This record gives sequence, C-alpha cells and structure tokens, in this order.
Amino acid sequence: MNTQALKEMLCKMGDDALIMGHRNAEWTGLAPTLEEDISFSSIAQDQIGHALAMYTLMHEHLGEPNPDIIGFSRPETDFTCCHLVELPNSGYDFSLIRHFLFDHAEILRYKALTNSAFTPLAQVAAKITGELKYHILHANTWVRHLGNATEEAKARLQTSLNTLLPYALGIFEPSIFEQALIADGIFIGENALQTQWMQTIAAILKQTALHLPDVTTIQPVYGGRRGYHTEYLQPLLTEMTEVFRIDEQAEW
Amino acid sequence: MSSLDPRINRLDLVKTAQAENIQPHQHWETYEVFVQAKRGGHHTHAGSLHAADHDMALIFAKEQFARRGQCHNIWVVKTSNIFALNTEDADMFAENNEKKYRNTGGFKVSDKITQYKRSHKHTQPDETD
Amino acid sequence: MYGGGYIYDPENKNQAPIAEDPEKLAEFEAKIDNGEKIEPSDWMPYEYRRQLIRMIEQHAHSEIIGALPEGTWITRAPGFKRKMALIAKVQDEIGHGQLLYAAAETLGKPREQMLNDLLSGKSKYSNVFNYPAKTWADVAVIGFLIDAGAIINQLANSKGSYAPYGRALKRICAEESFHLKQGYEAFVYLATGTSTQRAMLQDAVNRWWPPIMHFFGPSDKISVHTEKLIRWQVKMDTNDNMRNDFLEQYVPKIWELDITLPDPNLRKNPETGRWEYTEPDWDEFFRVISGNGPCNKERLDVRRWVEESGRWVRQALFKPNEIYKVPLA
Ligand SMILES: [Fe+2]
Ligand SMILES: [Fe+2]
Repeated sequence: MNTQALKEMLCKMGDDALIMGHRNAEWTGLAPTLEEDISFSSIAQDQIGHALAMYTLMHEHLGEPNPDIIGFSRPETDFTCCHLVELPNSGYDFSLIRHFLFDHAEILRYKALTNSAFTPLAQVAAKITGELKYHILHANTWVRHLGNATEEAKARLQTSLNTLLPYALGIFEPSIFEQALIADGIFIGENALQTQWMQTIAAILKQTALHLPDVTTIQPVYGGRRGYHTEYLQPLLTEMTEVFRIDEQAEW
Repeated sequence: MSSLDPRINRLDLVKTAQAENIQPHQHWETYEVFVQAKRGGHHTHAGSLHAADHDMALIFAKEQFARRGQCHNIWVVKTSNIFALNTEDADMFAENNEKKYRNTGGFKVSDKITQYKRSHKHTQPDETD
Repeated sequence: MYGGGYIYDPENKNQAPIAEDPEKLAEFEAKIDNGEKIEPSDWMPYEYRRQLIRMIEQHAHSEIIGALPEGTWITRAPGFKRKMALIAKVQDEIGHGQLLYAAAETLGKPREQMLNDLLSGKSKYSNVFNYPAKTWADVAVIGFLIDAGAIINQLANSKGSYAPYGRALKRICAEESFHLKQGYEAFVYLATGTSTQRAMLQDAVNRWWPPIMHFFGPSDKISVHTEKLIRWQVKMDTNDNMRNDFLEQYVPKIWELDITLPDPNLRKNPETGRWEYTEPDWDEFFRVISGNGPCNKERLDVRRWVEESGRWVRQALFKPNEIYKVPLA
C-alpha cells in the first residue's frame, strides 16, 4: 500500500471537514430559526468530528503527530482543503448551497471508502456515512423547499449555485497519486466520484425551479490540494490557533 | 464598532440595525414530536417545535429531540391535528370500585376451591377401602 | 442558562389586583397544595399566567442571548475536544431557548411576540450576558460558574407547579450538568496549567465575580405579591438562599485551586452556617439592566441581525392561511 498516497488523501479529507466545520459552526447561535440553528450546528459538529477521525487515522497508522497538532499547528501551505470550504459565509442561501454541494460529495466519497482496502478507514467510513445521511436529508429538504418557494428565495439560491459551482468542482481536483489509490483499492478516484456526484445533484435540482449550469463550460477552481489557497484561509487559521499560540507548551 | 467575536465582525450589523416587527406566525406552525427510543417501544411525546411543514419538522425534530441518547424513530404531528379531552374533566378517570369486573383482582376463586376440597374430602368414599 | 432569580417586571407596581372567582381560585390552590401540577388547559389565575409568561420568556431570552458571549470563542477554541464541547454547549443553549419559548407559548404568548419584546427591550434577559467574554478563560468561567448558578436556579424551578416549565427544565438540567462538567474541566486545566494560564483565569474570575454575585438578583422583599408566588409554586426559593447554595457548593472548589475571589469579606460564618459577603453593587446591576452595560447594544444588534437576515428564509416558506395553534408541550 502506498502510504504517501494514503496520507495525502486522509489529509485533504480531514482539512476539508475541519474548515467546512468551522465555517458552518459560525452559524451556531445565528441561524434563521432556533430549530434550524440546532440542526445546522450538529452538522458543523459532525464535520469537525470527521476531521478528527481522519487525523486520528493518520496519527495511529501513518506516524503523524496527534490530531490537535495536525489540525491546529500546520502552516497554511500544508493544508490541502479545497477552496470551496474556505470562502467566508455570506447569506444563509450561500451556506445551504455549499452544504448541499459539499455533503453530497462527502457521502459518496465515504460510501465508496466503506470498501477501501485500508480497513481502518473502511470501518470509520461506515460510521460517518450514517451521519452524512442526515446531512443529505437536511440539505435536500431545504433545497427542495426554498428552490420552489418565493422569487426571492429562488433567485438567492440560483446566485449562490452559480457562484459556488466552480469551487465545488474543485473538490475533485485529482491527486498526483490518483492511479496508485485506485490500483491499491484504497479509493475509486476523484473522476468516478465526480461523475456520481453530478448525477445526484442534477437529480435533486431537477425537482426545483433552479437551473444547473452546464459544467462542461465551467473552469473548476483548483489549487487547494496542492497547498495554494484563497485569501480567506490564513485569517481563519490564525483565528483557530489564537489560543494555542498564547502558550504553545500549555495544555488547554 | 468592533465585536470581540470575529464571527460577529464578519456580519453586517449596520444593515440590520432596524428590525421590523416579526409578524404573527412568521416562525411557522407548531408540530408535536413523538420519539421512539427503541425498536419495539412506544413513541412518546417529547415536545413541540416550529416548522414550515412536516418534512422540515422531521429534520428539526431529529436534532432537537434526539441528538443525545437512544432513538430509533420519530413521528411529528401538526399540533392542530391533536385532539384532547378537557383536563377539567379528569375526574371521569377516577377509580371506580364498582368496576372490579374489569381487573384481575375482581376474580377470586381460591376460597371456593378450598371450601370445595374440604367438603368433598368428607363425602368421598375412602379409596383404600 | 439562565433565568437567575431576578424577573424584570415594571408593570407589576401599577397593577390593580385582579378579582378572581373565589371558588376556582380555591380549587386551583388546593391542587397546588396537594402537589398536583398545572397543565396549560387548566383554569389558572390571571396573575399566575402573567408571572409565568414573564419568567419563562425571560429565561428563554437568556438562553439565546447567553449563546453569544461563549459563541465569541467558537472559532478560536483550542483543540478538538474544547471546540466540539463548546459548539455543543452553545447549541444546547439555543435548544433550551427553543424548549422554553414552547413552554411559554402554552400560556398563550406566541414566539414571534416574545422575540419582538426582546428586540424592543420590553422584555429582559439575564444581566450577566451583558458582559464581554474577553479571553478563552472567560469561557471556562462562564461554563463552570454561570452554568453552576443556572443549575441551582433551574433545579429549584423545575419543582414548580407549572407542568410544561417543569418538563422543559428537567431536560435542561440534565444538559446543564454537561455544561458544568466541560466548563469545570477547562477551568481546572487553566488553574493547574502554566503561569500564563493561571493569570488569564484569575483575571477572568475577577471580572466575572460581580456579575455572578448579581446573578440571583437582589434580596427578595417579602411582599404579599412574592408570598403569593411562593404559595403558587412559581417562585421556588429566595434569591439569597440560592446565592448561598451557590457559594456553599462552588467557592471551596475555586479556593482549592488557589484562585482568589475579589471580595475580602467573603467567608462562611461558622455559627450561622451561612455565607457572608460584601453587598453587591445593585446600582450597577440596575444600570446594566436598563441598557447601559458593556454589551447590551451588541447583544440586541446581533439578535436583530438574526431576525432580519433570516427573514427571507422564513418568508419563503410562510403559509398565510395556516391557523396558529398553541403547542401542547
Ligand atoms: Fe448552560
Ligand atoms: Fe441553558
């Protein structure tokens, strides 16, 4: 098994979940209704939990330091999250569409990984898939409802979809280890995943008044997987590590 | 104005400084939530919530009423679809001693059997004869 | 959190007593004397209903406003364990607000109206949340000590006569125990940590101590009104008793870590068994409640942002023809 390839894959999955979880947790206490506040907060907590699970695999099986160090002390260039998760929140439409695009990719990825040749990952993936089922139910329900509601709601969702789609395609930026991962039976590969994802989101969006732009004409936003990031990641990382940096030797 | 909360600094508080009144019913309808802790058990009332329809009520109920501990299934019912007796009339549930015939305690035959056995023994011919 | 003992009630002074049907009132009071609970559809005196709405509503506001000072540290919480616990804790506080608004609604005041009264300042929330959470140590102090105060207050109230409030509080108290545990752990890590950590914690304790002493409210003036609320099991204990319970349970836990409290007169009187302290500055308390605390404006501005920025979402799924029904809770 190619451990370098495996490490790279776990790291990007952990980084995606960590940053997405932070962005979504920013809504805790501030969401449109109390009930939705609670639901969306659980989703954010799950995502941070998924990051912890990936970093724990790296720590326990691949000789990396403990999850707190992986998550909260690497420089920006060592992060391999996609740009989609880095963008700051704007309206709730933006966060809902991002959640819809992101979590559909997540559930398909983790479902595929339940058959991974790396069995510790396959076991974790089965548990995470259960949680992601709720994420998908939540995202689909909201998108179906708002995507068929008032003109304002439809226009907001459409604008967010148009803005976020190029970034969402960046989720599937291929790894240099793509062939190794497939050959070792660790993962089905980003290409196959993107095909499944396109079909799923198209089927849901079809049930709404929203229009899915033609992805073949869209330039995906790549770079995150190679350590190039938007201007928004570093300030968030600075924030996330602020307390640790007060005293790096201390236990918090 | 700058907040100590970096999240708050990213919101545009100036734009929303004047809030209009929230109109009646803007937080949607109320639903009652029934949670089944384990397969095979009853669904029990757990509380109520505000949702736009039953689909939304279900996704909200899952996290507000089942994010800790055991849960196997959830029902939601629109509050307006629940009908209840008047609590002021609760005395109609009072125990009624005349209705013993409905309960196991209303049927006691052991005395009869003892009495029967006693009297029967006396009149029966002795088998060892 | 967190009702605290103090219920803001400016109307009460000018209120002429309502003449209740003596027969119904006697029946109602007999039920309470019997230890029976009151359900939403039962007959209840006007003043009982009014006082409960005020109390539960202000408790609910305190939960959703109380989510803000700690929310300040969500993105910055150090490490996975602290971060996930903090998000879950703040989430619980919103959940408590949800449960309590539902309990208040059963008395006939819709959620929308309660939120309007919060935003207009007509209704208040616990004063303690008008203070800022300046450092990570503030999160530990809030989670440990404010939630500890909340538990004392809420446990007392959970035994009150109004059934929906009692039901909500039972669940809330179970979750508050988790808040206290996670807050205490963060507190102990700072207290037993490096000198920087200890200094941060001591500073936070010094700043939070006056609001904590205010938390249960001023000594009760035993009036006919409060006596009635005690008889009706709306008010379950005096503010001074609850404050004393709090000091009894938690001051030793602070002192054993060599963290000091900024009150030279704080001590337990071995003869009376009661705690003694410098009388809190109640002028400051009322000054902050009336809107002049360090964070009053920000707290309400943020809630206003929540309502305004979420308006389109709620409007999109609004069905004008549905008939509002008070929840059963
Ligand atoms: Fe709490
Ligand atoms: Fe609470």
